[in-house]
Amino acid sequence: MQELMQLSLQEEITQFYYREAYLLDHRKYREWLDLLTEDIQYVMPVRVTLENKRGSNLNHDMTYFSDTKKDITMKVERLYMKSAWVDDPAPRQRHFISNVMIEQTDSPKEYKVISYFLFKRSRSSEPHTEEIFGEREDILRKVDGGWKIAARTVKADQSVLTVMNLAMFL
Amino acid sequence: MIIKELEQIKEKLDEGYYPQWVVTDPEIYKLEQEKIFGKTWLFLGHESELKESGSYITRMMADDPILLMKNRKGEIKAFLNSCSHRGTRLCTEDYGNKKAHTCPYHGWTFNLDGELIGIVAGNKVYGEKMDKSEWGLRPVPRVESYQGMIFGNLDPNAMSLEDYLGDMKFYFDIMLGRSDGGMEVRGVPQRWIAKANWKMTAENFAADPYHVQTTHRSATEMELTPKDPLYASYGHQVVLQHGHGINVITSATGESANKYQGMPEDMWPMFERNLNEQQVEVFSKVTNFVGGVFPNLSFLSSGSGSEGVKHNHLNWRVWRPIAPDKIEIWVWYMIDKALPEEYKEKSYKGFLATFGAAGTLEQDDTENWARIIEASSGSMSRDRKLSYNNMANYLMGFDNVERDENFPGPGDAYPTCYTDHIARSMHKYWLELLTKESGGED
Repeated sequence: MQELMQLSLQEEITQFYYREAYLLDHRKYREWLDLLTEDIQYVMPVRVTLENKRGSNLNHDMTYFSDTKKDITMKVERLYMKSAWVDDPAPRQRHFISNVMIEQTDSPKEYKVISYFLFKRSRSSEPHTEEIFGEREDILRKVDGGWKIAARTVKADQSVLTVMNLAMFL
Repeated sequence: MIIKELEQIKEKLDEGYYPQWVVTDPEIYKLEQEKIFGKTWLFLGHESELKESGSYITRMMADDPILLMKNRKGEIKAFLNSCSHRGTRLCTEDYGNKKAHTCPYHGWTFNLDGELIGIVAGNKVYGEKMDKSEWGLRPVPRVESYQGMIFGNLDPNAMSLEDYLGDMKFYFDIMLGRSDGGMEVRGVPQRWIAKANWKMTAENFAADPYHVQTTHRSATEMELTPKDPLYASYGHQVVLQHGHGINVITSATGESANKYQGMPEDMWPMFERNLNEQQVEVFSKVTNFVGGVFPNLSFLSSGSGSEGVKHNHLNWRVWRPIAPDKIEIWVWYMIDKALPEEYKEKSYKGFLATFGAAGTLEQDDTENWARIIEASSGSMSRDRKLSYNNMANYLMGFDNVERDENFPGPGDAYPTCYTDHIARSMHKYWLELLTKESGGED
């Protein structure tokens, strides 16, 4: 019984991520915003190359972004303006999400979820496609019967990013 | 020969034209490596990144990997990050702390002064010809600092860093020397790869507030920046020696709505103590400083925030050339140590929202830099005979803007930032270096 519950939770959360990826890839950014809680912390620390003995090789003192819902809303609304050149003409983008691992937290309404991401982008008629990959560590919260993202830390594997900007949401 | 073609460019530059072929030409790129990146002062890092004895950071000077270390005396030394034995890259980490660096290939070990202090089985395998003192790490020939900014130069005969910076020092003092305790780098630099040529990104920051009202129009649409299309033009564009330049942007009134860029009032007496009268006058009125140190260091000191409160933020960036059409961008965020923590945090958030890889303003910049490359790499745009009128336009302010003698700071100041004076000066200095005879004295 326990195992069946787990499988259905796994399926439910995986489907939630597929839906999220679909919204982003199809530039339905306002709909994507609805998947975020009001108190979301959306952070991307800088990856660095360090000796193993130092432990983590993420530098949290410098991030690429440390956004609240208000910050993310500003970025989303900008993309609907006439002059956000980076998104008009829009590049084609895909979020590939896999390796979803779910852990319980102290709160029965929240799960810690790790997922792997591969983001690919094709801009203009440029034959070279950009990519960025790594993992995301989320806190998902059940709100009114649906899942919402209450926290996300994006951990890219590249210490020198191979995308020309981080205009996308990861 | 390319030198002959470059001589023809001089005429064009003097007229306010910039041949498009030089942007991505591979031969030019090669010449730049030798005559510019091999001869000028390149930014390596800030002293706050090396806190104690044994601290090290790794950096790049164009294609050379560099290891910077703080020795026991507190001096900062810079070496080619390459083992003197077989040339292996000695240190692959971005930063850390060690008493000595050991090469993973054969185990040669170097101390914080770059001296070779350990050879595996040394006595048993080497004879008298091997003199350890001759096999230390190869130092960067010149390493000098100003206001905590560390630069390196591959040319042992280069002029001093202070002479090279010239009147830029006046503005460095304001941005970096205003506060007791100086500035500190937060965390590490952001790094990413962009499709761009280093000359165009350097020019974008050093010389081009004119792009702001179009490239960053979305910020105006979001009501974050003024509707007045001239808003980034108010103030002075200041041409400095050696291709350097700075835009001292104010507002339509000639002053900033936020004195001292919105820094807390209790710090003002400190600024007035640390800066001279002219520096105080410039600093009290400025909204944004944006400029560049030739060849590839740029800076922006701006403010973000709402409800009338602005939080100043300062970032430095290196446009490291990787190929004619590719750069690695390094961005350091710096803040006055003396500021309260709460202010620092707001300033940092303001920086992240606007600049750096995810900053909304920088995103649109990257799009335009890529478009220059895409349209400057073909037969028409790269034609060296200029048969297709393949020249870019640098005529803004060419014959319609006069020097302002009353500007309090040093340099040739023009009373608008919508002018190509710095760009023309940068490109002329670039040409001067490319066409300079090798081996000559300065």
